[in-house]
Amino acid sequence: MSAARPPEGAQQRNAQHEATPMPPALMKLEGVSVVFGGKVRALDDVSLSIAQGEIVGLVGESGSGKTTLCRVLVALTPATTGTVTLGGEPVAAQLAKSPLAFRRRVQMLLQDAVASLSPRMTIGRTLREPISIHDLPRAEAEVRLQAILQRLGLPADVQAKFPHQISGGQARRVGVARALVMQPQIIIADEPTAGLDVSVQGELLNLLMELQQEFALTYLLVSHNLNVIRRVTGRTAVMYLGQIVEEAPTRELFAKPAHPYSAALLSTNPAIDPARRARRIVLQGEIPSVVNPPSGCRFHTRCPVAQARCKTDAPALAEVGPSRTVRCHFPFSLELTR
Amino acid sequence: MADPVALASPLVRIRDLKLEAATQRGTAHILRGVSLDIGRGRILGVVGESGSGKSSLASCLLRLLPANMTRLEGSMVFDGTDLVQLDEASMTLWRGRRIAMIFQDPMTALNPLFTVSTHLVDVLKRRYPGISRDDARSRARAALTSVGIADPDLRLAAYPHQLSGGMRQRVMIAMALLVEPDLLVADEPTTALDATVEAQIVDLFESLRQKFAGSIVFISHHLGLVAQLCDDLCVMYGGTVVETGPVAEVLARPQHPYTRALLACEIDSDAQGGRLVSIPGEVQDPVAPHVACVFAPRCQHADTRCRAGVPPLQDSGAQRRVACLRHGEIG
Amino acid sequence: MSVLASLMSTLRTVCSTLTGAVGFAIVLVVMVCAIFAPWVATHNPDALDVMNRFAAPSGAHWLGTDHLGRDLFSRMVHGASVAMQIAILAIGMALTLGTTLGILAAYLPARSERFVLILFDVISSFPSLVLALAVVAVLGPSTGIVVVIVAVTLVPHFGRVARSQTLTLKNAPFLEAERILGASWPRLVFFHVLPNILGPLVILASMDIPVVITIEAGLSFLGLGVRPPLASWGTLIQDGYQYISQTWLPVVVSSVALGLATLGFTLFGEALRDAVDPRIGREH
Repeated sequence: MSAARPPEGAQQRNAQHEATPMPPALMKLEGVSVVFGGKVRALDDVSLSIAQGEIVGLVGESGSGKTTLCRVLVALTPATTGTVTLGGEPVAAQLAKSPLAFRRRVQMLLQDAVASLSPRMTIGRTLREPISIHDLPRAEAEVRLQAILQRLGLPADVQAKFPHQISGGQARRVGVARALVMQPQIIIADEPTAGLDVSVQGELLNLLMELQQEFALTYLLVSHNLNVIRRVTGRTAVMYLGQIVEEAPTRELFAKPAHPYSAALLSTNPAIDPARRARRIVLQGEIPSVVNPPSGCRFHTRCPVAQARCKTDAPALAEVGPSRTVRCHFPFSLELTR
Repeated sequence: MADPVALASPLVRIRDLKLEAATQRGTAHILRGVSLDIGRGRILGVVGESGSGKSSLASCLLRLLPANMTRLEGSMVFDGTDLVQLDEASMTLWRGRRIAMIFQDPMTALNPLFTVSTHLVDVLKRRYPGISRDDARSRARAALTSVGIADPDLRLAAYPHQLSGGMRQRVMIAMALLVEPDLLVADEPTTALDATVEAQIVDLFESLRQKFAGSIVFISHHLGLVAQLCDDLCVMYGGTVVETGPVAEVLARPQHPYTRALLACEIDSDAQGGRLVSIPGEVQDPVAPHVACVFAPRCQHADTRCRAGVPPLQDSGAQRRVACLRHGEIG
Repeated sequence: MSVLASLMSTLRTVCSTLTGAVGFAIVLVVMVCAIFAPWVATHNPDALDVMNRFAAPSGAHWLGTDHLGRDLFSRMVHGASVAMQIAILAIGMALTLGTTLGILAAYLPARSERFVLILFDVISSFPSLVLALAVVAVLGPSTGIVVVIVAVTLVPHFGRVARSQTLTLKNAPFLEAERILGASWPRLVFFHVLPNILGPLVILASMDIPVVITIEAGLSFLGLGVRPPLASWGTLIQDGYQYISQTWLPVVVSSVALGLATLGFTLFGEALRDAVDPRIGREH
């Protein structure tokens, strides 16, 4: 079980901010477990803190639980145990009291941008859904919407189109616009660059980063594209089989990963320049099933540096540096070499 | 595998390949005069983004073309035989004998009704018509072991849905290798896989460089992967080849503006802050006619010559070719 | 594409095949007769003119008269009106009730869902015509009862399709996105689920029209359907059948009308289904 996150210490929030003392947590998961059907532990005792103004990265493969974590944050999936808080208050209570107020503050960009738009509704109507749902003052919201559309570079004629008639990039921006109309505090971006060509993903990422400044947003960015994570996020959490196995400032994570899984994962992203390319660490075996996770340390079946203890003792999240936690008995034992 | 003698005569010589398809809005030019060489015993990486035509190129190599294809022109000379001219019956003999393919989505590429064993034995029976069942089974088992599957007998009896994505991809690779083809076409074989599983498959491909005598065409949108795995590189854009050459050369000293722009867009992880680069504009509509350089509308170096005619793919250095009129002038 | 433009486009596709075009033409004629019956008909369909019974076709009476001297053509035209009214009423009721139950079944917990499905099975197991006969035999003939019975027997038809369509949609990203926005369940169902499942249901409805027309005609033929003065084609066939020795025209005319209408709607419905089906992939 992790200790409460230390509020002190220089923390790099994202590549563009100066190091400042960490602001209070905006959203917090504390000891959250999600169990489906009494058997499948999609999330196991996960604690994560996202501070105001941060861009936090979330990395993991199939079965890591990152999708479930996102769903818990937007209250689509309830936490079986543990608490989720927004602005210090438990989310469950907020949902019971005023669900719409919660929804306004926490928004999500889904992975399949086109599919996230209602197929038989015009873009214009879809964009105005939040206005209707939350009963926002119409005139003011319209003005805001127009400003957002212009800011995002969406042409006026896109509003008459249907989702299947617009491109993936445009659909993504429509999703962003729809979320921004409500003036949310935190946006969870699930694979925002998935499906986008390399030549256009820069534009979208620039946009997201600018919007963060302009609208004082906080992001949780889920991506399998490690380059995106490295460039855009200030802090990253690595997940494996429903647990957070490492959490660190992004720069430090990429420079020196503490958990063997992180090291292996980071080595899978070969750099174009051979001089900067890390030696590929190839893991044995398949990703185990979440239904029947391995005993002890969940990663021990594939870990190249596993020892006897790892099979029997499940490691807890422990601090290995300022703002760095790892779930491993022998951190830093697998290195990234060039 | 850089054997200078082998380089002299390419396994496949593709010249001016044109592929057109009929769509509602008119004729789509999917491939607009593609020319490239596939070296013997070499791994050729083909990179491109959406609309580049790289997947269609793979389909052309096997002549497995969509139903709405209206025209396939040009030549694909494979060891002396022009595949474009071949009739369907002869082409069927080529597929699964001299050319094999690995697809992107292993789930849909395997027949859910048949066990892995059936898949592999099927391939063997085609390759060696008289083969006995026992012989086929033992070869199948050996094939699975060679692609790194630990418990081959267990997997032979399994159905595709019982295997993980990585496992299925290994089965596909095993099937392709059993064919003992001269050319193996891999169309984004790792795109649908998790990162650590992808690493395993890439590792497998690396080991193939030693074990597999034929040529491999590795299609991907992942430049880092291609840089690590391939010998030669072919960059495609808008249905044309814009640049080819040894992979390290092309990536270190790109000559075509598109290649340069693409490399600039790769998120340079070491940099801090600042805006990310993207290429403004969109790929040209495939229905539009091909009368100028396809990249000109988005190219910052384009001039009147570029818009006046199609730039030919010309030699520009040691085994390098580029389709740009201005490549020598750009700094 | 606006709704109108996509409708026009669908129509064009329907009419591009011979069967589709023929079906559409017949449907158009029937609809015109049904809606504009008082204007299309040459006489009051109930106007008796006993002196003129069994008259042969003439300038005054295009198809002659029946055994009570009523103009056959006008009765036939009004028959179209009766057929359409009953069909639309019955199908409308079945569509509404069936869709509601179907959507509920998709969202309700397993027990309740099973109950709805069993209900569907029970209703389906009754042949509609026999059921109608039984009820009418007990309660006496009435147009209203016929409509209700036919509607009830069609409910499972729509209900099952509605349910399976909703189930397919249940985990669709756009529904999740709307939930994240804060949309309430009624909003989700009316604005997001319904518009996306209506397509197949409407096609199903159009293919049920000939079924309903036939059932109603059959009941009326047996004297268990609509009451006079309303005259459906079934009644006309019955009347013509009774006096077939006097003149063959009435029975033939009304049978042909029934047959053509049924054929027309069937052809149109099938063409409509074909026109929309491959386009589902293109989602228009």
